[in-house]
Amino acid sequence: MTHAAATVDQMRPPYPAERGLDVYNKKLGMWVFLASEVMFFAALIGTYVILRFGAPGEWARPGIVLNIKITAFNTFLLICSSVSMVKAYAAIQDGEPKKMRFWLLMTILGGATFVGIQVYEYIHLVEHGFVPSGVREGSELAELVAKGTLPAATMGLYGSTFFTMTGFHGFHVTCGVISMTYLYLTKALPGKYSQRDYGGIETVGLYWHFVDLVWIILFTIVYLI
Amino acid sequence: METAHKRPNYILIWVYLAVLTAAELALAFELPISRNLKLLLLLFLAIWKAALVGLFFMHLKFERWNLRIMAIIPLPLAVIFILAGMSEHIW
Amino acid sequence: MTTVAATSHPAPAHHDDRSFLRKYVFSTDHKIIGIQFLFVSLFFLLVGGLLAMQMRWQLGFPGKPMPGGGVLPETMAPGGVILPEYYIQLLTMHGTFMVFFAIMPLLVGVYANFLIPLKIGTHDMAFPRINMWSFWSFFAAGVVMLSSLFVPDGAARAGWTMYAPLSARHDLSGASFGQELWSVSIILVGLSSILGSLNYITTVINNRAPGMTWFRLPLSVWSLFITAILGLLALPVLSGAAIMLLFDQIIGTHFFDPAAGGQALLWQHLFWFFGHPEVYILILPAMGMVSDIIANGSRKPIFGYHSMVFAIVAIAFLGWIVWGHHMFVSGMNPTLGSSFMVSTLVIAVPSAVKTFNWMGTMWRGNIKFTVPMLNAIAFVAMFVIGGLSGIFMAATPVDMQIHDTYFIVAHLHYVLFGGSLFALFAAIPYWYPKMFGRMMSERWGKVHFWLTFIFYNCTFFPMHITGMGGEMRRLYDPNQYTFLQPYQPIRVFISISAFLLFATQIIFFVNFWWSLKRGKPSGLNPWQDNGLEWTLPSPAPHGNWERVPTVYRGPYEFSSPQVPEDYLPQTRKLPSDREPAAASAARH
Repeated sequence: MTHAAATVDQMRPPYPAERGLDVYNKKLGMWVFLASEVMFFAALIGTYVILRFGAPGEWARPGIVLNIKITAFNTFLLICSSVSMVKAYAAIQDGEPKKMRFWLLMTILGGATFVGIQVYEYIHLVEHGFVPSGVREGSELAELVAKGTLPAATMGLYGSTFFTMTGFHGFHVTCGVISMTYLYLTKALPGKYSQRDYGGIETVGLYWHFVDLVWIILFTIVYLI
Repeated sequence: METAHKRPNYILIWVYLAVLTAAELALAFELPISRNLKLLLLLFLAIWKAALVGLFFMHLKFERWNLRIMAIIPLPLAVIFILAGMSEHIW
Repeated sequence: MTTVAATSHPAPAHHDDRSFLRKYVFSTDHKIIGIQFLFVSLFFLLVGGLLAMQMRWQLGFPGKPMPGGGVLPETMAPGGVILPEYYIQLLTMHGTFMVFFAIMPLLVGVYANFLIPLKIGTHDMAFPRINMWSFWSFFAAGVVMLSSLFVPDGAARAGWTMYAPLSARHDLSGASFGQELWSVSIILVGLSSILGSLNYITTVINNRAPGMTWFRLPLSVWSLFITAILGLLALPVLSGAAIMLLFDQIIGTHFFDPAAGGQALLWQHLFWFFGHPEVYILILPAMGMVSDIIANGSRKPIFGYHSMVFAIVAIAFLGWIVWGHHMFVSGMNPTLGSSFMVSTLVIAVPSAVKTFNWMGTMWRGNIKFTVPMLNAIAFVAMFVIGGLSGIFMAATPVDMQIHDTYFIVAHLHYVLFGGSLFALFAAIPYWYPKMFGRMMSERWGKVHFWLTFIFYNCTFFPMHITGMGGEMRRLYDPNQYTFLQPYQPIRVFISISAFLLFATQIIFFVNFWWSLKRGKPSGLNPWQDNGLEWTLPSPAPHGNWERVPTVYRGPYEFSSPQVPEDYLPQTRKLPSDREPAAASAARH
């Protein structure tokens, strides 16, 4: 909308207008979107809690099926990428586009590595016999079930909930990585962000922190409990 | 335009997050405490970490109160849903 | 900032050089997107109606070949005689199409898109391109759902509520691909709704014109705003549930599979946690638009504007904690059930407040019985009936008797047809001039109204009676039970009324299409209303205003002593009016 753009400063709420929430539209839109994402993960995580609480037997003890060490590292990596994201935001706020580009690139690499490690983990799990429907017959994990190290009654639920929650989280991380790469190539590299106009960085940063926040919850309740 | 406020020390927050994560791992695997207590403490630590990210990285601490409310509104709904679902198994 | 007085020359439409494709197909203009939703949703309303007609044929004339039934495959209706397997597809898809592809998009997709920027005084939505994606994902969802009717094993058939494990297990339901397509389509509908909601919420919060304070917003905008919040928070839960159902269907997960520790009731909790806010999504915009129309038709301010707003907020708030009243007979925790009974009884109160306020608005008003006004008044009456039957259901012991009977079917059709659809029959002719520059035929609108009103009540009122008598819903052959056989004459009466009701809608459709090109040109403000949209040309130009208007008062200043006319537009500046407080830019 050409004439709408003429009266909209990128980092200010629309003008002239009644007072809203004192933030520009893109940022408000992202917060609103994140509220819907909270509900989406609430449905998935809530399902996990409800199924586990009402499960017909013991749940598998932490660390037997899933690799805690690698995932702990992955968690740390995602937290680091959240820090690099906020440092990119601080850099452009201070009017330092070069620094912002560096930290944004670090964030993208951190996120991409996280996804890579998740994919590697998934492949590893499937090879050992852990699949969304539970434990595959004749696999390594099936032997653990037979031995009684893993509870037969709940492995189906374990697989269903694990892959759905972490899978959709991974999907969201991937979308974040793709969005940041797109912004990096089309806006950050050509120098389109400045101290007066960095809304895209702030907005994608909010999304990225949210994705990190969800993982903080998931790591605890899926891997550690 | 940012409302004028002192920028949080992001590195310090990072350190807090790392320490809390380590605490979680120690709690989950090393400490010999009862299962229920462990569950409660782990949840508490996770929520603390999430709050740090939300308040400082997402700058919620420095936004207007009504934006904070908007960000938080889904949470009680999620809790209501989960508690209702769980209540099916306690009668 | 210019003021746009109601009688001055309208702002000239600026030069618009977009291609046909960009202007009418892949448009980012909220008005075009609203009209796109209108055409597509009216089509799906027809589809839903046709499915219902087939159901009524089976119930009224069981075992007889249906006229035109020869086109149906032998596996569904050999010789035109409907089979049970086909009947349950009909009822499932009737509900699905009507809820997700007709009523919801007609109320929200059309009117949130069309009205919000016009009524709050801005050029377009906050995110015009996301708006376009919202429409096209809806369209894609519709194509997927429609295609599910034509796959070899047939469409989904576990009721529009898609209860698991029936819906998850192909060996139990008999459907396979059709069931999966339902899940995929619902995920797309959820996406469309969420994208739309985020636009509506951001736009109403941030893009109101100077002077358009929260308590000067028309109730149509308030209700669409609150509805958007409901949709934003409820649809993701449905999407999550549909994803889990799809996974149970195709990759062997066990969310709803009791044999592997899953929980059938979990589906119900997830579905209704979405489902109850959904029904408020289906009624609140109707209530909001009816408020605008009734105030206009009575030439009086809305009675109790602030309490109307608080009632909308209260309904939305309470709507989150009543969902279990759909599950009273499911075997859920009885203590939990009791809490739902209490909250459900409480939620009747704000709706009652609204009803009394509508009546207060009309009381001693200078009522003009135009087509929109007639339909709006019918809305109030029919909604009251639907609401009253709801009170019966809120009481758990009563619901134990009437759950899954035709009493429920009567209730839901009184609120969804008597309520939402009558509100649409009011809203469509009301805002038609602003969409298309022409009026729909007032005479044929009245014929349509009266015939619809009569046949509608003949169709749905008797269902209260048969439901109380125990006639179950989703039942292919009620006559297999001797206690239901005496109701067959009523079933025939209902079916014939339904056929006449459906036929009457032809009048509406013809009126709609014919008036597009041949209707009376409307001028700027045919209803002499106060809203901002009526200061623009009909149809409204791309970009709406050259400059954002200034607002001086609320939208319901009818019969104001300040002016000789019986209406006083929001943007008209009187000598006694002050300019609004400095707009947002000055704060930074």
